[in-house]
Amino acid sequence: MDRAAPLSGTHRWLRLATAIGALLVLLGTYVVSTTERADAAPVANAIRVAEFPADCTYSHRLPDDPIIFPGLPGASHMHSFFGATVTNANTTLPDLVNSPSTCNPRVDVSSYWVPTLYRDNVPVEPAIATFYYLGEGVRSDVVANTQPFPLGLRLVAGNAKAAGPNDSIARWSCLHAGHVPPSKNFVNCPSGTMLESYLDFPQCWNGRDLDSPDHKSHLAYPVNQACPSTHPVHVPKLRQVLRYPVTGDPSRFRLASGPGYTMHGDFFNAWPVAEMARRVQDCIRPVIKCGHDGRPI
Amino acid sequence: MRTPVSASMSLFLAALLVAACASGSPAQTAPSAATSTTTATAVPSGEVSPSGTAGPFSATDIAWLQLTVAMNERLLPVLDMVPSRTTDPAWRTFAARLAAAHRADLGTARRLLAESGAPATNPHEGHDMPGMVTEQELTALRSVTGVAFQRLVGQHVRAHLQQAVRIATAEQRSGVYAATTALATEVVRVGGTELARLDRLDRPPRA
Repeated sequence: MDRAAPLSGTHRWLRLATAIGALLVLLGTYVVSTTERADAAPVANAIRVAEFPADCTYSHRLPDDPIIFPGLPGASHMHSFFGATVTNANTTLPDLVNSPSTCNPRVDVSSYWVPTLYRDNVPVEPAIATFYYLGEGVRSDVVANTQPFPLGLRLVAGNAKAAGPNDSIARWSCLHAGHVPPSKNFVNCPSGTMLESYLDFPQCWNGRDLDSPDHKSHLAYPVNQACPSTHPVHVPKLRQVLRYPVTGDPSRFRLASGPGYTMHGDFFNAWPVAEMARRVQDCIRPVIKCGHDGRPI
Repeated sequence: MRTPVSASMSLFLAALLVAACASGSPAQTAPSAATSTTTATAVPSGEVSPSGTAGPFSATDIAWLQLTVAMNERLLPVLDMVPSRTTDPAWRTFAARLAAAHRADLGTARRLLAESGAPATNPHEGHDMPGMVTEQELTALRSVTGVAFQRLVGQHVRAHLQQAVRIATAEQRSGVYAATTALATEVVRVGGTELARLDRLDRPPRA
């Protein structure tokens, strides 16, 4: 009896082990076949650019800024808002999370805003506003370690107070007119083209703060193709590209903040955590160009 | 390069699938498990602080104090031009009283900002915000005297006071720190009184 029991126990364990083994083999086959399909197929044709976009049409204008002047409606110069349709001076993260959005993809309920462009004192809104999330400007091993933007992160780029082109990272150019040299101030675009503004946001985060007293110092730009030790977390590089349906004499243009070199952008991240994480994992880290759905193009 | 990624990915997915099978709902468990694993390694969540401001002052308090300092610093040189550009005693008295009130508010706002621990550098310095006199407008003011100067200075003071009252009203409503909202109440009260005086000195433009 004393011996029989362990014997039959071993027997039962063997049967169980065989069953588990068979299950694992089946699972293994399934996993290999699905990962090969999901992984290999896109890479074969993938465009090796670490990128996913959000195209967000113009939503509304307000003299508000929930990052720089939270709770103070009317305190700011005029801003044009993209993405979340509810943004005003009192906006907080829960407001954005529950907001409709003008973005493609709709899941991006983040808020993006810039000083309004005026031509002869009449507001002009971009015909195309694209927010690219990129893995570039740093070493490839840094790109491979990109982390998603944390939910609720507030980011600003550019210098609204720039006194001249030297204080500015703004870039103005003409869509479909590459022969017009880019400038930090407005450029004269030939008719049939569009005035374009490019602005790159900082991509190194301190890993701790969603905002800071000056609204800037929790992020930094890379140094020597890497993130500085004070801001060690590499996040996607947000590139704002605005195409305005205006051309011609730049002296007719002004921004709500001043000359062209005062161009700046604000970003309040409200991407659903899983959607942002998936895109960072599938597009940025493996260096694959993705579409609005966050799938390889 | 590709093989290790694929292999580790397979292992990772296998682990997930086993976990998913154990819980009995692979379709629902697998994706959320995958994403939460990704974000867990991504950021030290839980240590993320909502903002850089601390203590009894709210972000609204600090933004309003900074803006108040910047606006008052911009208006005072304009008011100080009045005695040398007009002989009208009513305008001189008006400007002197307004300047004294703005100097006092400026002192209080600076003291509160220091108390808040906010950066001493003014984020709005040199920046033309609504209600502020621009460098160009200042040049225009320097080129005129008498009634022409009064008309121009009246426009600027009105724009400043209207904006000051607008944002101080917002601070009264949204602000947190008692001494700061008290200053906002004072700005609203004095602003209203001085706007009424300005209306008597210089008729407002018809809307």
